Amino acid sequence: MSSSRDDFGIAFRSALLQKGAAQKFSLVSLIILAIIIFFLDTYNFNFIKPLRSIINDGVYRVSLVASAPTRFFPSLSNNISEIINLKEENIKLKQEVENLKFKELNVEYLSNQNKNLQKLLDTDETLMQKNIIIAKVLLDKRSPYLHSIIINKGTKAGVLKGMPVLDKDFLVGRVVETNYMSSRILLLNDLNSRIPVTLDTDGTQAILKGTGGNQPILEYLPEEYIIKESINIFTSGKDQIFKAGTPVGKTNSKGSVTLFSEPNQLSIIKINLSQQNKENF
Amino acid sequence: MLNKNISWKIINLSPVIFLYFFSISEIDTHFENFFEILSFNIQLIIIYFWVLKNPSVLGNGHIFFAGLINDVILGFPLGLSSLTYLVISLVATYVKNMSVHTTLTSDWFTFLVGLIISNSVFLLLISNFSEINISFTEISYNTFFTLLFFPFFWFLFSYFNSIMSTQKNV
Repeated sequence: MSSSRDDFGIAFRSALLQKGAAQKFSLVSLIILAIIIFFLDTYNFNFIKPLRSIINDGVYRVSLVASAPTRFFPSLSNNISEIINLKEENIKLKQEVENLKFKELNVEYLSNQNKNLQKLLDTDETLMQKNIIIAKVLLDKRSPYLHSIIINKGTKAGVLKGMPVLDKDFLVGRVVETNYMSSRILLLNDLNSRIPVTLDTDGTQAILKGTGGNQPILEYLPEEYIIKESINIFTSGKDQIFKAGTPVGKTNSKGSVTLFSEPNQLSIIKINLSQQNKENF
Repeated sequence: MLNKNISWKIINLSPVIFLYFFSISEIDTHFENFFEILSFNIQLIIIYFWVLKNPSVLGNGHIFFAGLINDVILGFPLGLSSLTYLVISLVATYVKNMSVHTTLTSDWFTFLVGLIISNSVFLLLISNFSEINISFTEISYNTFFTLLFFPFFWFLFSYFNSIMSTQKNV
């Protein structure tokens, strides 16, 4: 018994402290460092804020470059299972098609982007207002835990925490983290998202709560309130953060809310700079 | 000779490259379009396997930095993923120190232990010290699928490890 305890102690100590030619740092030193960094970041010490902002900007740019190939092959992962099953004869033909597709996608992507930008510039009157800025989605890594996106505008462009983010005229989320040249947007379907809303039929007030899935739900409705299908949901503006009357989504047969703007399909978004957050995040 | 050296170095660096790539790129292992609850943590599998089988190709420093990058990309407090990765690395190192010969079954079982410990650390820290809410169910699904896919990656990485050994001997 004592011997097995000794073995455990020796093996555990060795695992923690072991260093060698390949391992320049011992696990225990890195674990302590990670704990220190975690608490410094969690408790928002002043000196770590600019540091984190610089790291964020740097990592987002590198990530954008690293993700570039995957953007040109959005369907690649979807088709892996099919490709594996193809016969050898088809592989060469597929490769040729892939090459052509790549070129076609490239052209299509650029022309669509051009069209969208032109459309926005020509038709969207809100752009004429000085307090609206347009930002491009840099990263959209779908985490199973958090639903957020990174955009290419930060404090340099006047973006502040809490500002509402729109896709066309529909609310999609709010700014939760700002860096000098980038910001993080918390989407409405994230588990941490809570938005005061109003239902268009009778002005019933509720809170739109993200579930982590695609469709948020309504909470704090009046007692015995039955949610009917196809009721439009707007921001109530009660929190003084979101402008009242911004369309959000409509109720569906399951009692949840289908958002007007698909959170997974965002490429260009708008931020209303006139609405600042009074809340301390 | 020079080409062989370069190719051997690239092969040797591939676990580190994959670890960084999955941490920094937009590629994710959350397949909600196929099956809403399907998500797994490939970084944990990479770390556990290579620390257990061939620790010389995956340094602790790289594991730490990959965790920091992952935190920045996903918006978690800095150091959280690093700690999770280092905990699973600690379990793998302990198992390596305690065992002479391992099989898929023993690796799978010890991976389960490591996965539970590392995800518990993750959940404990994020729920007690951070304002971020995380669904316990999502973590459970993620843990389950990570465990489920482990054998597949075990065979894949074992094959790759044998190529690395062959190259080294040549």
